[in-house]
Amino acid sequence: MSAPGGQLDDRAILDPAHAPPFPAAALTVLRDPQLRKNVAHATDVIQAKRALLVAEKTDWQELRSAASRIKEEALDHLGAYLKQFEERCTAAGGTVHWAADAAEARRIILEILREEKAEEVIKIKTMTSAEIQLNPFLEAAGIRAHETDLAEIILQLGKGEPSHIVVPALHVNRSQVREVFARRMGIEDLSDDPQALTAAARGFLRRKFLTVPMAISGANFLIAETGAVVVVESEGNGRMCLTLPRTLITLAGIEKVLPRFADLEVMLQLLARSATGERMNPYTSLWTGVRADDGPQRFHVVLLDNGRSSILARRTGRQTLKCIRCAACMNACPVYRQTGGHAYGSVYPGPIGAILTPQLEQMQHAQSLPYASSLCGACYEVCPVKINIPEVLLELRARVTDQERRQARRIFDPLYIGLRVANLLFSRAWLFHAAQWAGRIGLRFFTGKDGWIHRLPGVGAKWTQTRDLRGLPRQTFHAWWTGRRQAIGNRH
Amino acid sequence: MSGIIDSRERVLGRIRAAARNFAAADPQPAAKDAQELAGADAAIPRRYARSGRLSAEARMALMAERLREYGAEVAVCKPEELAAAITQQIAASGRRIFVAPPGIPVAWRVEVANKIKGFECSFDHGLQIGEIEQAEGVMTAAFCGIADSGTIVLHHSASEGRRMLTLLPDWHLCILKASQVVETLPEYFDRCPQPPALVTWISGPSATADIEMTRIQGVHGPRFLNVILADDRGKEPAVH
Repeated sequence: MSAPGGQLDDRAILDPAHAPPFPAAALTVLRDPQLRKNVAHATDVIQAKRALLVAEKTDWQELRSAASRIKEEALDHLGAYLKQFEERCTAAGGTVHWAADAAEARRIILEILREEKAEEVIKIKTMTSAEIQLNPFLEAAGIRAHETDLAEIILQLGKGEPSHIVVPALHVNRSQVREVFARRMGIEDLSDDPQALTAAARGFLRRKFLTVPMAISGANFLIAETGAVVVVESEGNGRMCLTLPRTLITLAGIEKVLPRFADLEVMLQLLARSATGERMNPYTSLWTGVRADDGPQRFHVVLLDNGRSSILARRTGRQTLKCIRCAACMNACPVYRQTGGHAYGSVYPGPIGAILTPQLEQMQHAQSLPYASSLCGACYEVCPVKINIPEVLLELRARVTDQERRQARRIFDPLYIGLRVANLLFSRAWLFHAAQWAGRIGLRFFTGKDGWIHRLPGVGAKWTQTRDLRGLPRQTFHAWWTGRRQAIGNRH
Repeated sequence: MSGIIDSRERVLGRIRAAARNFAAADPQPAAKDAQELAGADAAIPRRYARSGRLSAEARMALMAERLREYGAEVAVCKPEELAAAITQQIAASGRRIFVAPPGIPVAWRVEVANKIKGFECSFDHGLQIGEIEQAEGVMTAAFCGIADSGTIVLHHSASEGRRMLTLLPDWHLCILKASQVVETLPEYFDRCPQPPALVTWISGPSATADIEMTRIQGVHGPRFLNVILADDRGKEPAVH
């Protein structure tokens, strides 16, 4: 499946400003049976493990309610909690920076790296850094960024793009990984056994961990009460990056703040079970500023807005910011399970991506995403912080429609002509009856003997291309009802 | 750096503007932050399980079972047998070059040193990364154990060691007393009257499932986790 040179042949565009609309991007994936098989397998495995562990937790719904309220409360007082975090983190020896947008975050990080005369930097998996497209920016500035999470190494060495926020390389299978590692690490006789592949990654990175003095991480939680940062991981690459380098930079979205240390008693019970189907992930690290004899002696936190505060201002949309990035919604989503992540044209795929990306882009890009859903509600049901994703999807669809119908080029768009006509018909009873009458006569020519319409001309073909339409019945309900009442009246 | 300072004001200004859309969340725009946050905790519905229901014996059994499920080795012993249990674990591991935090009890290491030939243990009074990396194993105490998820909690005190001490050696021997084991995660938080500044929650050896969701044990952290559970019940009052 891999292209020559150990590249994963999936050069997806994950920049919402340039990605093709969802239906177009999804089409290439739907024609790739291998990729669909890989995605289906991975999501099936996580879903089954998650379901078992959620079922054994008798207080799951109470935990969800508490988590939802904790995040709501944090968002209600976001400004105050961020200031509290800043004050306490600073008091503990950290430096807090504020970035209004992606460009500013990149600039701040580059300035720190330049001050430290860094030539390379080791990184813990952080979707936020992918959101601001940090790696290509650092590369262009002459600083090599080494990803250290196994999935991220696969993608970095194979020049692939993430398709999931917890298991970013879930669309790649073992033989593809083998090919990428064999070529890029120069190991001739590498087997495709995951054990051997994992060992290869361990050997490949060991020296980097011990020698590179700079690291970049994301954050799962920021604790306002103490100024602490929490990172949740499995492999130990996180602990390496958080502990061994001289300087650590943490990039965190402003919505990551939790009011209190004790709020973790709820979040940590929900996160691993939802994300990977484990009772607890192997390693969770919490640190507060710097400590003289333990860990990095210089510590920076970059608080990133990049569109988040505009989401906070929306009554329905703001619940999007409760997300703790567990990815349960994408594993459960019947659309994601068919298309995989790249079709969403953003580093945030799946149902959460479908609501997060258009809002982060301030409705300037990714307008096809709110439609990339069947509104079945599976995402809402599994969400550990109770984000009502279907509700937000509907609100975003309304906003997209409001935006579109004001555009001059949409005046002659058949969809909007149809909607304007419908608006007219539905508001006048006599017009509605006339239209029904005309429709019954007109559609008779296209209705088959089985009572179904299989093919329509013109714009109507857009419907019948993919599904049949039931022919109109001889009688409307209204006519039947009137006739019935007359018949009963006659009997008396 | 003036642009950066402006950004702080810009971001906080946008957040304030967003809050004004929701009158209930912002009763007095001029309210001080401390006033605004006072009592916010009371509004959180905490109806989830906040304490365990198991007997002390069942709690220990659950801790051992959950640790084993994630691939950790577990040995249970009486407190007076602890030194012997440590010696046995280390002898069986085949590892001889050890590091340990300076605060572990003397009794833990005397017997090992006497009985195992070639056993060397360097105490971490500022060891270099290279020296820790050369060690084949590490021996530490822990702050707490959480039975429900088979989790060991380190607060990195003098007997638990610096963070890198339990990270670089391939084999981690952790000694936990029954009186330190709680059943649920909230009970651990009850044992932290002051929030700790450094914490590592460890649940089994390092692992990944990044390749086809096949769980592989041992990536960058220790590939082996051995736990000795010292059953000190009756010696110290059990905490309820």
